[in-house]
Amino acid sequence: MRLGLGIFGMQSVPQRPDHHVKLYRDVLEDAELAESLGFDSIWLSEHHFWFDGYCPADIAVAGAILGRTTRLGVGTAVMLLPMHSVQKVADDATTMSRLGEGRLTLGVALGYRDAEFDGFGVRRKDRGKLMDAMLPRLAESCAAAAPPVAVYVGVATAIAAQRAARLGLPLFADSTMTPQELRDMLDAYNAAAAAAGVDPPSTHALQRDVFVTDDRERDWAMLLPELRYMRRQYGGWSFPQEPEESIPFYLQRLESDIEAKLKNLIMGDAAYVSARLREFEKLGFDLIVCRSQFGNLPRESLHRAFEGLSRVREVVST
Amino acid sequence: MRIGLGPIALKNATRIQLESFGREAVASSFDAMWLSESRAEGVGGGLAAAALLAQAVPIRVGAVIDAGLYHPLHLAEDIAIADLTSQGRIEVLLRFDPEATSRYGASMAREWCDDFLNVLALALSGAHFQWNGKHLKVPARIEANQPAPERLALNPATAQPAVPIWIEASDMWMAELARERGFGLARNFTPGTPVPAANGRWTGMLLCPNDVHPAAALAAAGDLGAYFVVAAENLAQVTSAGRRLAGPLRMPDFPAWINQQQ
Repeated sequence: MRLGLGIFGMQSVPQRPDHHVKLYRDVLEDAELAESLGFDSIWLSEHHFWFDGYCPADIAVAGAILGRTTRLGVGTAVMLLPMHSVQKVADDATTMSRLGEGRLTLGVALGYRDAEFDGFGVRRKDRGKLMDAMLPRLAESCAAAAPPVAVYVGVATAIAAQRAARLGLPLFADSTMTPQELRDMLDAYNAAAAAAGVDPPSTHALQRDVFVTDDRERDWAMLLPELRYMRRQYGGWSFPQEPEESIPFYLQRLESDIEAKLKNLIMGDAAYVSARLREFEKLGFDLIVCRSQFGNLPRESLHRAFEGLSRVREVVST
Repeated sequence: MRIGLGPIALKNATRIQLESFGREAVASSFDAMWLSESRAEGVGGGLAAAALLAQAVPIRVGAVIDAGLYHPLHLAEDIAIADLTSQGRIEVLLRFDPEATSRYGASMAREWCDDFLNVLALALSGAHFQWNGKHLKVPARIEANQPAPERLALNPATAQPAVPIWIEASDMWMAELARERGFGLARNFTPGTPVPAANGRWTGMLLCPNDVHPAAALAAAGDLGAYFVVAAENLAQVTSAGRRLAGPLRMPDFPAWINQQQ
């Protein structure tokens, strides 16, 4: 099993604001540390027009990381493809794969925040159709690149998995999916691949919230506000408000959803985390992108978690 | 006067080659090294490649970018992130290439270029803006996407207060547009052709062949400041151009036996 380190959005969060010049200097240092600790890859996330300056241009950051490192893979987790020009993404990826000596990987997904689609003049409702049109072109261009660029499809639903299956592309599963949801999705994926006559890859990637610590109580107190911030942000973008539903009731439902998702965090010492990650390997996920950066954690705490995760890597990579 | 090396074509380039050119550019006293994408040939990633190179050299890094092919907000975002990862050392030259435009199924119509450059300039200005052009409406305010904000801003912003951007204008109207939006102007060097006039804080840029003579470059500048970007096909040409040009262009009235390094 391979472990990737993630996911980095270089956000200047309200509870710990920093200038973006420092945040981008930090991520380059984190990439150097990840390489020195033996991680397979580092993963970047994308959003647009958000108040905390969430990173909007992953391939540009990837370029800087490729320039700062020599072995570490760099991936997008995930690029919101329907908002982009697929020709631009393909041309960018082809060039950067050559300059990065094959270390670039693209994870792509639909995106969901209306304001982002609106900024680029795209109807959110068209995102599925756009993805259907773009994904084959991107996959073809990336396969023809020298070196080729691996393309993973970010998924949280069976429909998205079936789209990937028809093209024989591996999955990049969402961090909030339960083991049963993952099994159901893989069943749907394999069935769709068989129906399309496609020989699908046997292993996939999974994103998971992971924090390795020898002092759970101390680090949980530090993490909780960051996790709440992150989940409120993502939830506020994606959690649907029912028609005619009052805002107070919607917020109550949203908070309940956030509480449920906070339980997805895998937190503990290296032995505990290793055992939990092995469960996902058995499901068919051979690359796990461990999210240990939530917002903008204190550097010392973050690096302690990276070093703990590197001990997990030593265990699970054998 | 400022002196840049390049643009070095990204087509078929490797990281080792770019870093070798970069090291030689520093050793030869260039102010910047420029890279060039060529989307007509499927070679993109100009700003990502500049971000890569910026990790290897301490000087400024320029990217020649094929403009008008995709949404200008994506270009603004690429510029901002490349600038942040380079700690504020990015420069940009925009060109509107008919072959790239054809490959992308884009337009070179004046109204589209007008929309493209206006949105790019507004985004990079730090404004909370909206734009209602003939081809671009930002935010689009599509009914199916609502509720969405009436204005947006590029966030994060660039590291530099203003990223230097030049335009290789192929038409008078494009040059006028560039001037209106605060971009510098660039053109290819030919003997007797003057450096474009400065626009705001950006001096005109001349794209020069490797063998350009210092006296010819200075004659093109006249009384103006200028940015000379000098081509090179190999490391020896980098070295020779730096030694031939750096002294005379930076301080012209010293005798050649002092000012041209041997």
